[in-house]
Amino acid sequence: MQLLDIRNLTIELRTSDTVIRAVDRVSLSLKEGEVHALVGESGSGKSLIAKAIVGVLNKRWHITADRMHWRGVDLMRLSNEQRRKIVGQDIAMIYQDPSRCLDPTAKIFDQIAETLPAIQSKGFFLKRNRQRKDRVKALIHKVGIKDHEKVLTSYPHELSEGVCQKVMIAMAIARTPKLLIADEPTTALESTTRAQVFRLLKSLNQLKNMSILMISHELEEIVNWSHGMHVLYCGQMVEAGPTAKIFSQPRHPYTQALLKSLPDYEQGLAHKEPFYALKGTIPTLQHLPIGCRLGPRCPQAQKACVVTPALTKHHGHSYACHFPLIKAMK
Amino acid sequence: MQPLLKVQALSKSFNLRSGLFSRKRFEVLKDISFCLSQGETLAIIGETGSGKSTLAKLLAGADSADTGQILLDGNIIEDKGIRDQQCRHIRMIFQDSEASLNPGLTIGDMLDDCLQYNTSLDKQTRGEKITATLSKVGLLNDHQHYYPHMFSGGQLQRVALARALILDPKVVVLDEALSSLDPSVRAQTVNLLLKLQQDTGLSYILITHHLSLVRHISDQLVVLDHGEIVEYGKTEDIFQDPQSNVTQKLLSC
Repeated sequence: MQLLDIRNLTIELRTSDTVIRAVDRVSLSLKEGEVHALVGESGSGKSLIAKAIVGVLNKRWHITADRMHWRGVDLMRLSNEQRRKIVGQDIAMIYQDPSRCLDPTAKIFDQIAETLPAIQSKGFFLKRNRQRKDRVKALIHKVGIKDHEKVLTSYPHELSEGVCQKVMIAMAIARTPKLLIADEPTTALESTTRAQVFRLLKSLNQLKNMSILMISHELEEIVNWSHGMHVLYCGQMVEAGPTAKIFSQPRHPYTQALLKSLPDYEQGLAHKEPFYALKGTIPTLQHLPIGCRLGPRCPQAQKACVVTPALTKHHGHSYACHFPLIKAMK
Repeated sequence: MQPLLKVQALSKSFNLRSGLFSRKRFEVLKDISFCLSQGETLAIIGETGSGKSTLAKLLAGADSADTGQILLDGNIIEDKGIRDQQCRHIRMIFQDSEASLNPGLTIGDMLDDCLQYNTSLDKQTRGEKITATLSKVGLLNDHQHYYPHMFSGGQLQRVALARALILDPKVVVLDEALSSLDPSVRAQTVNLLLKLQQDTGLSYILITHHLSLVRHISDQLVVLDHGEIVEYGKTEDIFQDPQSNVTQKLLSC
């Protein structure tokens, strides 16, 4: 069964004179136990989609969707309380900016203890307290913090960005959610801890059958263990499908550019040789081009590109381009 | 060949408060020495807290060392914490270009300030210089009337690079300057850096977590651990055959 099924999600920001469409008809579906990656540059609406799923966008954003089903229940039609109950139980999110998303006025211990499910502790209140402490300690060890005494008694501003990020991860996995949305979970971490965090997420995925929606712009990290990949550009879904298929044969020029900009993906690149890069810069949301939003930067743009291309589906691999790349990459 | 930048026995320590009156000395950098030739790139890798950023600050002159010397082109520019009053030969680019630019100044004013404080050029030559630098980093002359918020992230990185290059430095220190960029923007920026290196013989000191990038653009590699150099040599050699435990651990993941 589909765990999460989103069809034509559109997120708009209404200003006094215009409507800015930050996410334009994005479809996404996720099966139980799968790891999906959402890839795109900053400003392409990755975080907006994640926040729309969890329902934490504020009222200025106008969200419409043909359907947004969570295990058969349409989230869009639920009341706020019902929705919060479902989301709070089954979905957890690791936010992008850890030191800013933690409560600055509470100690780390209290913040983690708050996320623990209440039913599990039994016994008298002293015993319950001890159980709670042990659970928090175990969680924090799980994410690779050794010095628990010091970290648990400090406030977020006293900790480094990397430790804050680990605390966020610990809070997210405290309830063993069915779906974990990780919004750039490893940006502030160095390579050794990054590998450790990925190992943890991987083991949670395999042992607890937890689905993960990874949001990242580091392709190298997610290639090896994600089942599916969605590539976004300026709020439009340009390509989606199984990761291996996209990597072996990208159909959209933007995906190809992304893959070619990886230093060690293509073996033939000599030392200090320039990378392949698209010309120009990402347009700002106020000045989006009509039609295909990659149009002005695309190497093979033609006249037809002023009309938004429809999503073409072919063996589970979908792409939105009038002139898809057919030749295999060398 | 005479190395362009030579760092000899650089060390730095901070005083930390450990009790009410007692203080503890904390050595951030111990006895750092390396050389950098013209047109080469030196990468510094290490775990967080190993002193990478402190080393970058010392080189750029934002902080002063306790002991040790920094030599540029055979001239001593820093000796035991006393800096020769010149910040124009080694320039630095910071991680967050958006936060490191003054939001109240146009790009032209900001670049003009750099020239006014550091050179004795007259107004007209300064203007010409700004135009030349902007075109060097791939921006238009009109951009000097823009404010930082009008640029996108990739363009801001170019602006930061323009600010570093306007004083014709010999060494540019990139402190995590490439890690927060998106992949395609990073590819563009790296291409620009490589092109500048080829054209003008600029040297870079690159501090980053991104190992494949290090392998691609750097010639020499310094591995720092708790303020000490544990490995120093040609990048390719270290990647092929890492000697110390720290390096093996860093490279293995």
